[in-house]
Amino acid sequence: MKIINNKKFTVLSLLILVIGSMIVLLNSCTASQKITMKSGAQLWGENCQRCHNTPSPSTFSPEQWETVGMHMQSRALLTDTERDKIVAFLKQ
Amino acid sequence: MNILTKQIQRLSVVCLFLLPSTITSAQNQTTVVDSALLDRVNSLEQQANYIKPGDSHLMIVGLLTVGYVSNKTTVTYNGSSEVSKTNSVGDADHFEFSPMFLWRHGKRFLLEFEPSFTAGGLSVNWATVSYFATPGVILRGGYLVLPFGAYNKRLAAGWINKFASDPEGIPESSDFGVEAEGGLQAGTMKWSYDFAISNGMQLKPDGTTEFVGLTDNNRNKLFTGRIGWLPLSNSSLELGASIMTGKVGDVGTKFQNANANLFALDLNLVENFSPFQVNIKGQYSEAKLDHAAYMNPVDSSSYTFNNHTKTGYIMAAVRPMFSKNNIVKNFELAARYGNYTTPSNSLWGTKDNSLAVSLNYWINWRTVVRCSYEAIKGTNTVSSKLGGNTGEVTKSNSTYIQFCIEL
Repeated sequence: MKIINNKKFTVLSLLILVIGSMIVLLNSCTASQKITMKSGAQLWGENCQRCHNTPSPSTFSPEQWETVGMHMQSRALLTDTERDKIVAFLKQ
Repeated sequence: MNILTKQIQRLSVVCLFLLPSTITSAQNQTTVVDSALLDRVNSLEQQANYIKPGDSHLMIVGLLTVGYVSNKTTVTYNGSSEVSKTNSVGDADHFEFSPMFLWRHGKRFLLEFEPSFTAGGLSVNWATVSYFATPGVILRGGYLVLPFGAYNKRLAAGWINKFASDPEGIPESSDFGVEAEGGLQAGTMKWSYDFAISNGMQLKPDGTTEFVGLTDNNRNKLFTGRIGWLPLSNSSLELGASIMTGKVGDVGTKFQNANANLFALDLNLVENFSPFQVNIKGQYSEAKLDHAAYMNPVDSSSYTFNNHTKTGYIMAAVRPMFSKNNIVKNFELAARYGNYTTPSNSLWGTKDNSLAVSLNYWINWRTVVRCSYEAIKGTNTVSSKLGGNTGEVTKSNSTYIQFCIEL
C-alpha cells in the first residue's frame, strides 16, 4: 500500500513538475522579430495549408471566424498570436 | 426725414414681431425633421440589438463524403485462386456525414461535438469542452481524439485526405479523458505539445485491443503524448513524435499487468515551388504488447505470440496551384505507399503492402472530386495451428470516384 502511495506521489510530482516547467517555458519563450512582423495574411497562408487549402475570408461571418479560430487553434496547435492575427485577417 | 425715420421705426417694430414667429416656425420644422431621424435611429438601434453578438456563439460545420467504389479481390492459396468483384454506389466503406457543433462561450470555453453517420451506423467522433486557460495552454475534457500521430486528429477528414481511403492500420485513438495542449514560439522555431490521460484499452482474447469506453477495466490510465517541432520559420515542415502507454489487462486477472506500448513518428512538409505546391506527409507507428496467453479457437489450448504491430505510410501530392490557368490550377495528383504488418502466428496476422494514386479536382477550397485507385497485396501469416491459411495471398484492387465537402 505504501509502495502504491509512493508511486502515486512520484507520478503526481512528476506531472506537476512537467506542467509547471511547461508553463514557465511557455511564458519565457519569445518570438524573433522576423516572426512578430508577420501579418495575419502571411500566417493564414503558412499555417492553414499545412493540412488543407487556405479558406476564403468570405466563408464565414466575423463572429463565426472567432469560433472557427478557437477550433483550429486546438487542431493545428497555433500560438495565441497566430490565431489572433489569422482571425483578424479573415474577419476583414 | 422725419417721415422716413418714422417708417423705418414702424418697419423695425413689425420685424421685431415677425422675427420670433419665423424663428419658431423654423425651429418647429427642425424639430419635426430631428424627430423623424431619431425615430429611425431608435429603430435601427433596436434592430442592431437583435443581431448584436453575445458572449455565446453556436455554429454548425461538418463534412460529407460520398462516392462509388469498384473492387476486384483475388485470393490465391496453394495454387488456386478465387476472384470476387463488387461495386457500390455510395461507397459504403467510406461514406460519412458528420455535422460538427461548435459552441463558444466567450473567449475561453469551446464545446465541440461531432456525431457521425457512416455505413457502420451512428457514432460520435468527439464530444469535448476546451478551456483556453492561458496563452499556450488549452485544457480539454470529454471524449477525445488522442494525440497519437498526426493523421487521426488532423488529416483523416475526407476533404483533407488526398485519397479515397485511409492508410491501413492507423490505430483508432478516441477515448474518454483529459488533455492539455498548446503551441509556443521559440525564436523562429515553433513547438507544440499535446498530452492526454484517458481510460485506455482492453486486451481482447485474440490479442487485439479496443478502447474500453466510459467504464475502465482496470485502475490504470492510458497516457498519450505528442511533441511537434516546426524548425522552419514559415512552418512548412513539422516533425512529430508520439507515445501511448498503459495497462490493458482486466483487473484481477493473470494478465492485469500486461502493458501496451506504442510510439509514432510523423512528418508533414508543404512547400510552394511556383507554380506548384508540394505536399509530403507520412507516419510510422509500432505497437508492442506484453506477452500474454491466448486461447486457440481450434482446440481451446493456450498459445502466445510476439504481439508486435507495425504500420506506416508516406504520401506525396503535387498541385499546380499557382498556375494562371483556372482549370489546371485545381488539379492535384497524389500517390501513397503503405505497409501494415500485424503479428505473425496471431489470429489476425497479415503483411500488407498498398499503393494508392489519386487525381483530385478542387471545386473550391473545401470541395473536391477525386478519382482514386488503390492496390493492396496482403500475405496471410496466421499459423495453421490456429486454423489459418499461412501464405495465402489476397490482392485487392479498388477504383473510387468520390465527392467530399466540408460544410
